[in-house]
Amino acid sequence: MAAHAHAESIEDSVYFQYETLEQQQETYILGMWAFLLTEIMMFGALFLAYTVYRFQYQRDFFIFHEQLDWKLGGLNTVVLLSSSFSMALAVHYHQIKKKAATLWCLAFTNLCAFGFLAIKSIEYGEKFKHHLFPNDSFVWDAALHGGNPEHARIFFSLYFVMTGLHGIHVLIGILVITTLMVLIAKNHRLITDYIPTEMVGLYWHFVDLVWIFLYPLYYLIPK
Amino acid sequence: MSTNTDTQDHGAHAHHVTPIGKLAATFGFLLFMMALTVVAARLPLDMPDTFGWLSPYFFVTNAIALGIAIAKAVAVVRIFMGAKYASKLIKLYAIGGFIWFTQLFIMFFDYGTRNWEEVRGWEKVPSSSLPRNRDSDAGIPYPVYPGSHAGSEMSGTSEASGEAGSGH
Amino acid sequence: MSTTLQEQIASPERGVKKNYLNADHTIASWLLTTDHKRIAVLYLVSISIMFFIGSIAAAFVRFELTSPYGQWLTSEQYNKMFTAHGVVMIFFFLIPSVPAVLGNFVLPMAIGARDLAFPRLNLLSWYFFVIAAVLMLATLAMGGIDTGWTFYTPLSSLYSDTQVTMALVAAFIAGFSSIFTGLNFVATVHKMRAPGMTWFRMPLFVWGSYATSLVILLGTPVVAITLLLVLFERVFKIGIFSPELGGDPVLFQHMFWFYSHPAVYIMILPAMGVVSELFACFSRRRVFGYEFVAFSSLGIASLGFLVWGHHMFLSSQSVFQGVVFSLLSFMVAIPSAVKAFNWTVTLYKGSVHLTTPMIYALAFLGLFLIGGLTGLYLASMDTDVHLTGTYFIVAHFHYVMVGGGILGFLGGLHFWWPKMFGRMYSEFWGRLSALIVFVGFNFTFFPQFMLGYLGMPRRYHLYAFAPEWQFYNVLSTAGATVLGVGFLLPAFYLTASLVKGKKAGPNPWGAKGLEWENADSPPITENFERIPIVTGQVYDYDAEEDSRLIRAELDDHERRDKAHLPGEH
Ligand SMILES: [Cu+2]
Repeated sequence: MAAHAHAESIEDSVYFQYETLEQQQETYILGMWAFLLTEIMMFGALFLAYTVYRFQYQRDFFIFHEQLDWKLGGLNTVVLLSSSFSMALAVHYHQIKKKAATLWCLAFTNLCAFGFLAIKSIEYGEKFKHHLFPNDSFVWDAALHGGNPEHARIFFSLYFVMTGLHGIHVLIGILVITTLMVLIAKNHRLITDYIPTEMVGLYWHFVDLVWIFLYPLYYLIPK
Repeated sequence: MSTNTDTQDHGAHAHHVTPIGKLAATFGFLLFMMALTVVAARLPLDMPDTFGWLSPYFFVTNAIALGIAIAKAVAVVRIFMGAKYASKLIKLYAIGGFIWFTQLFIMFFDYGTRNWEEVRGWEKVPSSSLPRNRDSDAGIPYPVYPGSHAGSEMSGTSEASGEAGSGH
Repeated sequence: MSTTLQEQIASPERGVKKNYLNADHTIASWLLTTDHKRIAVLYLVSISIMFFIGSIAAAFVRFELTSPYGQWLTSEQYNKMFTAHGVVMIFFFLIPSVPAVLGNFVLPMAIGARDLAFPRLNLLSWYFFVIAAVLMLATLAMGGIDTGWTFYTPLSSLYSDTQVTMALVAAFIAGFSSIFTGLNFVATVHKMRAPGMTWFRMPLFVWGSYATSLVILLGTPVVAITLLLVLFERVFKIGIFSPELGGDPVLFQHMFWFYSHPAVYIMILPAMGVVSELFACFSRRRVFGYEFVAFSSLGIASLGFLVWGHHMFLSSQSVFQGVVFSLLSFMVAIPSAVKAFNWTVTLYKGSVHLTTPMIYALAFLGLFLIGGLTGLYLASMDTDVHLTGTYFIVAHFHYVMVGGGILGFLGGLHFWWPKMFGRMYSEFWGRLSALIVFVGFNFTFFPQFMLGYLGMPRRYHLYAFAPEWQFYNVLSTAGATVLGVGFLLPAFYLTASLVKGKKAGPNPWGAKGLEWENADSPPITENFERIPIVTGQVYDYDAEEDSRLIRAELDDHERRDKAHLPGEH
């Protein structure tokens, strides 16, 4: 690309299709928000499906949700909130051009993300062990817990799809954050200002946002 | 392109740098709300717990849980994601996305009003047939237990089928 | 505006200049390009291939229906044929046609930008499209799918033993391809406009593309996740939509149509934008009620999200919600009518030139009107009970999708062809094929209205119980043959024009717009020598002067056509 030819120095880094740096920065942020719009609609459809069945099978959902560990879920909430906080700090430090602090904050965010996935996999493992993953080997011991086994299938299907998709987002987040850290550390020419960090930050806060709603909807269902 | 160096400086302070204190306060708020929602959900409120979404207990508990979640979400969007300090366009997109999402819930009008008018044939639960091309022994995709409610209360759509369940 | 219109028409030849086509000739320079114009050409080639494949499937369907006894295909084969036709045409031709080809090429230039906001994302979008298309073709090669393009559960999730899984993956990836395009357009329109290019100086094609992009952004993720859930249900047998697993199939229909009705507007809104350009240019007038036409695009885009239930009047959807959806569906007719009336008034007292693009535009107007008005029968609940699931609905959406979407695309392609490749095509063949398409189209689909009214169900391959329908079916198939010829002709004369066509000047139509007045044909890689500063209003046509010039130009062109003079090189 011809644009890179004169994008050697960090100060002069406007792609050829933009006129000014400010225009470029604003466009990137707008693009990220437009992408988050699609993410909202994507998770929105799942929340809709959840709500449809929750309204119909409220009592059953209460019974099933007791299979989920609200303490582990709560711990995960704290972990994700902390990661979000350190992500906001990373953007802050990158804005005031403190490279080391930025990297440390991103590293902490990544650590939290790994922690989240670790806790999540413990939870998933428990479910698999009790045959609560809704495939052919699904076993809902109705005699023991009450509740309709068909509705149990739906509940655990939704649980695995929604938390699974969220987990995939966390995984992608880890990859993106790691890449970002490497690029920042290397003073790569793609990182000329704080905008990449801000974009990754927006994504990461959105992942946090989804969990903020998932937690009460799955782990804290009222009777 | 020659004007780049001029706009560079403008660009630098056109964006808001959120102070650490503000971020920390938001973080504290989020943690507090998180604790609050756990406490609220596990608090034994003394209300008639008739099952179903018409009971006041269901309304109150869900309103609390969702209200807290929304408060947390607003804090994250405004401070962490910087929507508070962003341009009007970004604000429009941020708000617009969440408003548009609620539009999906128009379909509750369907689920809510299905049994306002009785339609012949809908009162019965459709008998489930086995999928074609699947082994009929292993074909039942879920195990049915003799003691379970599957037979009597499976009424797929408890809302939609109305009084059908009791007549069974 | 360095040269006047007169100078441009007088001296189209400027020697061999650098442009986006001859900037680099290697294969890699095409496959790794981030130039929006080259990506548009890549898209043009890919969707043309897909259109050809979809047409072959349609040919099988039409051929089978010439006999009432289902002689040639089995039911399974027939199901696979119409599904292949629907899936390929909708996901791989109609949805990307206008936005990804014409939008990609024109939109940045029309607002005075050097490229889209995110060129690499644009290229990624094309690769996603190609991956999805290859997957879908592999699906068809491995036996195809028989669910219809709608993938209704539980047929698609538990019953069908065809290659549904792979088709779902392909549709999912294709969805992301269009999301990336939409994302790019939104950011570009908001942030990349040239100085002086205010919102109300934007061409209506840009307005249409912007509205479309919003629909893509807000709708496509919903269907993507819905198809993903069907996929999970099929693979892991988790229960979301299938009653056998405790789910609700009507929920699938809700979520599917939440996207797929707006998807109709994804296909038609950009085409509406295209014909707005054509009406303005070839009537030499500003589009009447420009602001109303612009806002009606946004109106259609937002109202279009509130009407999906009209596809579900005969599902177990609540009757009361049906009434609301019916009412809202009627309301969408208002912004559509605003457009149709304003186009018609634009023609009034304009100096109309019946060039090839204009013939397509006029055909669009008539056919879209029929398609739209028959939609009202389907939007009212009582007539819908009789008509839904019959050939009436097939005819209706083909009038909108083919008569609207494809004719709009062809009109736009003929309009911007000189800009894209710097050559004029044969005006004679252009007009002829436009007429053939128009006639063939009506012969194909008007009989289907009759069939639908008589009650012939769609998706049946034999109708031995009512052999009297054969007359209309044969008529329709004959028309489809003519239509096929009409669609095939452009492939020949447009390709031929690349070599033999007369060189086009920067502005062969004397059109207004930054891409015509400030850029070369074909444009340089950076689009403009320097970014234009917009001072005038949009569609600032001077009818008298322009019509004299364009007439001279066209006469000249026709003379050459008749004399069979090879174009100058
Ligand atoms: Cu529709």
